[in-house]
Amino acid sequence: MTRRLDRTQALLAGALAVLGVMTVYSAHADWNRQILWVLLGAAAYVAATVYDYRRLSSIAPTLYGAMLLMLVAVHLAGHSALGARRWLSVAGFPLEPSEISKLILVLVLAAYLARHEQISWRVFGGGLALLVPPAYLVLAQPDLGTTMVIAAVTLGMLYLGGARPAQLLAVVAACAVALPLLPRLLHGYQRRRLEIFLDPNQDPLGAGYNLLQARIAVGSGGMFGRGWLQGLQGQLGFVPERATDFVFATFAEEFGLLGSLVLLTAFGVLLIRVLRAASVAPDRFGELLAGGAFVMVFVQVIQNVGMNIGLMPIAGIPLPLISYGGSATITTLAALGLVQSVVVRRRPVVHPESERRGLGTISRRAQA
Amino acid sequence: MGLLAVKLAQLQVADGSRLAALAESNTVHRVILEADRGIIYDRHGVPLVENSPVWTVVIVPAGLPSDAAARAQELVTVSRLAGVAEPKLADALFTADPYSSVDVATGLTQAQELAINERLPELVGVSLVQHAVRTYREPLVFGHVLGYVGPIDTADAKRLRDAGYQPDEMIGKVGVEAGLETLLRGRDGWQDVQVDARGKVIRVLASQEPVPGDAVYLTVDASLQRATASSLAAGLARDGKTAGASVVVDPRTGEVLAMVSLPAYDTNLFTHGISRAAYDSLLHDPDRPLLNRAIAGQYAPGSTFKMVTATAGLQEGKITPQTLLNCPPYINLGGWIYHNWASYSLGRMNVATALATSCDTFFYQVAAMVGDVTLAKYARAYGFGQAKEIEMPGVMAGLVPDRIWKQIQCGVPDLNSDACRWSEGDTITFGIGQSYLLTTPLNQAMYAAALANGGRVLRPTLVHEARDATGRTVLAQKTEVTSTVPASAGTIQAVREGMREEINPPYHMNYWFRASGVPADGGGKTGTAQWGGSGLDLPTHAWFIFFAPYAQPEIALSVFVERGELSEVEAAPIGVDIMKFYRGNIGAIRSGAP
Repeated sequence: MTRRLDRTQALLAGALAVLGVMTVYSAHADWNRQILWVLLGAAAYVAATVYDYRRLSSIAPTLYGAMLLMLVAVHLAGHSALGARRWLSVAGFPLEPSEISKLILVLVLAAYLARHEQISWRVFGGGLALLVPPAYLVLAQPDLGTTMVIAAVTLGMLYLGGARPAQLLAVVAACAVALPLLPRLLHGYQRRRLEIFLDPNQDPLGAGYNLLQARIAVGSGGMFGRGWLQGLQGQLGFVPERATDFVFATFAEEFGLLGSLVLLTAFGVLLIRVLRAASVAPDRFGELLAGGAFVMVFVQVIQNVGMNIGLMPIAGIPLPLISYGGSATITTLAALGLVQSVVVRRRPVVHPESERRGLGTISRRAQA
Repeated sequence: MGLLAVKLAQLQVADGSRLAALAESNTVHRVILEADRGIIYDRHGVPLVENSPVWTVVIVPAGLPSDAAARAQELVTVSRLAGVAEPKLADALFTADPYSSVDVATGLTQAQELAINERLPELVGVSLVQHAVRTYREPLVFGHVLGYVGPIDTADAKRLRDAGYQPDEMIGKVGVEAGLETLLRGRDGWQDVQVDARGKVIRVLASQEPVPGDAVYLTVDASLQRATASSLAAGLARDGKTAGASVVVDPRTGEVLAMVSLPAYDTNLFTHGISRAAYDSLLHDPDRPLLNRAIAGQYAPGSTFKMVTATAGLQEGKITPQTLLNCPPYINLGGWIYHNWASYSLGRMNVATALATSCDTFFYQVAAMVGDVTLAKYARAYGFGQAKEIEMPGVMAGLVPDRIWKQIQCGVPDLNSDACRWSEGDTITFGIGQSYLLTTPLNQAMYAAALANGGRVLRPTLVHEARDATGRTVLAQKTEVTSTVPASAGTIQAVREGMREEINPPYHMNYWFRASGVPADGGGKTGTAQWGGSGLDLPTHAWFIFFAPYAQPEIALSVFVERGELSEVEAAPIGVDIMKFYRGNIGAIRSGAP
C-alpha cells in the first residue's frame, strides 16, 4: 500500500505544515498548540489514508445530520470572539464546526452526485439544497468567509460533477439579481469591509487599517524578505490577526517575494497532485471527493492570499496548513488524507473504457 | 495563481522600498525628551523658580484590552485612581485616533501618581508621563520680574517651528521668562524608539540627550526685592492707594537690584492652569494687576523733571548756579496764569534752592529762556522718551513731546489751528515735567542713576550672569552707557546740589530720614504730577527719585504712587524705607556673587 502512496502530496502537506508552525511561532501565537494540531492532523491524515473512503458514501447522510447539529449547537452554546459565535468547547479545546463543515459538505456532495451520472435540473437543485442549511447557519454566526467557501465548494463540485453551463449560468444570473440586495443582507462590518476593499485609504486607521497594514507588511518584505522572526509589521503586532487571517502577510514580510512564490508553488503542486488523484480515482465518488478537496483548498488559498495583498475583500478565511487553528488544520490534513485514500485505491491501469462520461470529466475540465 | 504572483511581485518589488519605509515609520517613533528649563536665581544664587514634576496619565486607545469587559474594568480602575469621571474618560478615548496617545488626566497628586504607578503592570495600554511644570517661589514678590511661561500660541508655534518648538510647548510669555527665552529653554533631546502596535516601547534605536537651559543669575537681590515690595505695599496701604511701582538700581553699573509693580498676581496660576473666571477677574481688575508698571506704566514725571530744565538752563548759559530768580505765586503769560504750588512768593533764589523748594515759577522762567527744542534735547539725553533695552518684553518709552508731535496727534483737520500749534504755555509746563511729557518708573530710576553718576545714562540690566549646564559662563553682566548728558561736571554738580538740599534741613523731607534713622547723605527729588488734561484740581501721581551716598553713589531708585496726592508724604517715605533696609543689609546685598 505504501508503494501506491502519492509521496509528493504527503511531502508537500508536511512541508507546508512545518512552514505553518514556523510562521505561527513568528507571529507570537501559541505554537505549541499548533504543533499539537499538526500532530493530530497527521494522525487524521494517516487514519484517512488507511480508511477505505468508499465506506463514507453510505454514512454521508449521518455526517450531514451531525454537521447541522454542530452548527445549531454553535448558535445555542457557542463561544463568541470578535463579534461572532463560532466555537464550541470540546474537552477544553475550541472546536470550530464551520471549518469541519467544509469537508463534510465535500463528502456529502460527492456521495450525492456520485449517485447521479447525469446532472439534471432536479439533481442540480438538490445539490444547491444541500448547501442551503449549512450556509444559512454559518452565515448567521456570522461568518461570511466560510459561507463563501462552502458555496464555492458546492458550485465547484457541481461543475466538476458535470453540471451543464446553463445550470451554472442560472446560478450566476440568480446571484446577479440578488446582488443589489447584498448590502442589506450584510452586517454593518461586512459592508464596511467591502467598501474598504474598494478604497482602503478612505479610513486608514479605522476599518482600512487591517488591509493597509497587511499590504505594508507584504510590501516591506521585498525580494528576499526581512528574515524569519525579523519582520517589523508582524513581530510588533501591526498586522492584525497576524497568525490567522493575515498569516500570509506575516509570512511574506519575513520571506519576501521569493519565499511567497515558493509557498504558492508548493500549494500549486499540491493542488495538481490532488487533481491527479481525481483523475485516477477508481470511482465517481472518489473522483468527486478529490475534486471537492481540490476546490476547498484552492478557494481558501486564493481568497486568503488575495485578501492579504488586496486583491480580494477581507473575509475571515485561514490559509490552509499555515494559519493558526486546530479545526482548520486537522480538517485540511484529513481531507488530504482522504485524497491519499483515493490515490491508494486507484485502478492499477488506466483502461480506455474508463473514459466514460462522468469519469475523466474532472481532469478535462480542470485542465481547461 | 498567476494573478496572485503578479500582484505579489508588484507589491514586494515595485512598491517594496516605499512600503518598507512605511513599515519603519509605523514601528519607529521619535519621542521628544523635554529639556529642563533653566532655573532663575537672584544675584546670590537664591532660586526663584523650580521645575516641579507633574504626572499625566496617557492612554493609547488601541492598546486597551480588546475584550470589552476587561476594557470596561480597566477604565473603571483608571477613572477611580486618577479621579476622572468615567464618561469623560470614555468620551476622550473613543473620539480620539485609536493609535494616538491621549492625555486623560493631568496634574496628578503624588498619591494618585503612586497609586497608578503601582497598578501600571496590569493596566494595559496605560502609561504615566512626567512633565516639568514651572513653579514660582514667591510669585507676589517676583512675579512682575520673572513673568511666567504658558502654552505657545499658534502664531509663535508657526514662527518658532524651525527652532524646534513643539506645538504643545511652554514658552516664556512675559517678564524675563520671555526676555531670556533663548537662554532658559535649552535644547530638547529625542529618542527613536521601536514600538509595537500597542505603543509599547520595544527598544531604543538612537537618542540624543536633552541639553538643559542655562541657569540665570539675576542682578536682583531677593531680600531687597522683598523689602521694596513690602515698603511699597505698606506705603500704598498707609495712604489708601492701590497701585504703584519702584525700581532700585546700581548707578555705577545699571544693574537692577529690585523691581516691583503693585498690585501683583500669582503667576503660578498661569503655569498650573488658570480658570476662565480667575483670568477674567485679573483682566478686568480696575487696578490692572497684569500691568508691570515698572516698565510699562507711562506717567508725567512732574517736578522730578526739573533737574533736566536746570541742566539745560545752566549748560546753555541762560543761568548760572549763582543766578537769582524770583519765585512768585504765578506768572502771567499773554493773559494765561501759570501757578506755583505756593500761593505766596518764596522770594529770590538760586537754582539749587529752586530745586529744593521745587519752585514751579522759577523753572517756567528757565524753560522759557531755554526753549522747547533745547529742553527736548536734554530730556532725550537723560533717557526720556526712549524704551530701555532690558531683558523683558513690553518696555514702554514714555514721551518727549515736540512741535511736530503735537501737530500730528492733535486730531484737528487743520494742523495749523491753535489747538495744534505749540504754545509758549506748552514750553513752560514742559519745564516742570507736565505738558505732554511721559515717563516710566524704570526710566526714572535710570534718570536718578544718571544724576548720581555724573550724567551717564546706563542700559539697565536684570542679568548678572548666565551659566550653561556645565557651569560655563555664557553671559556676564557688563556696563553699557547708552548716552551721556551733554553737560559739564560743574553743571551736573549744581543740579545734584539742589537734590541734596531738598532732603536736608530746613526742608520738610528731612523728617523722613530723621524718623527712620537714615542719614540724608544723597540727593532726592519729589514730584506730584497732574494728569488727565489741563486745569486746576486735576488728579495727580506721586514720584520720588533718590540716589545715595552723595559723594560716591551706589544706589539709585524711583518710587511711583499711582493717584498719589502729595509726593513728599506718600512717595518719599517709601523710598526712605527702602533705603533703611538697604543700609541695614548692605553687607549681605553687596556680598560676592554666587
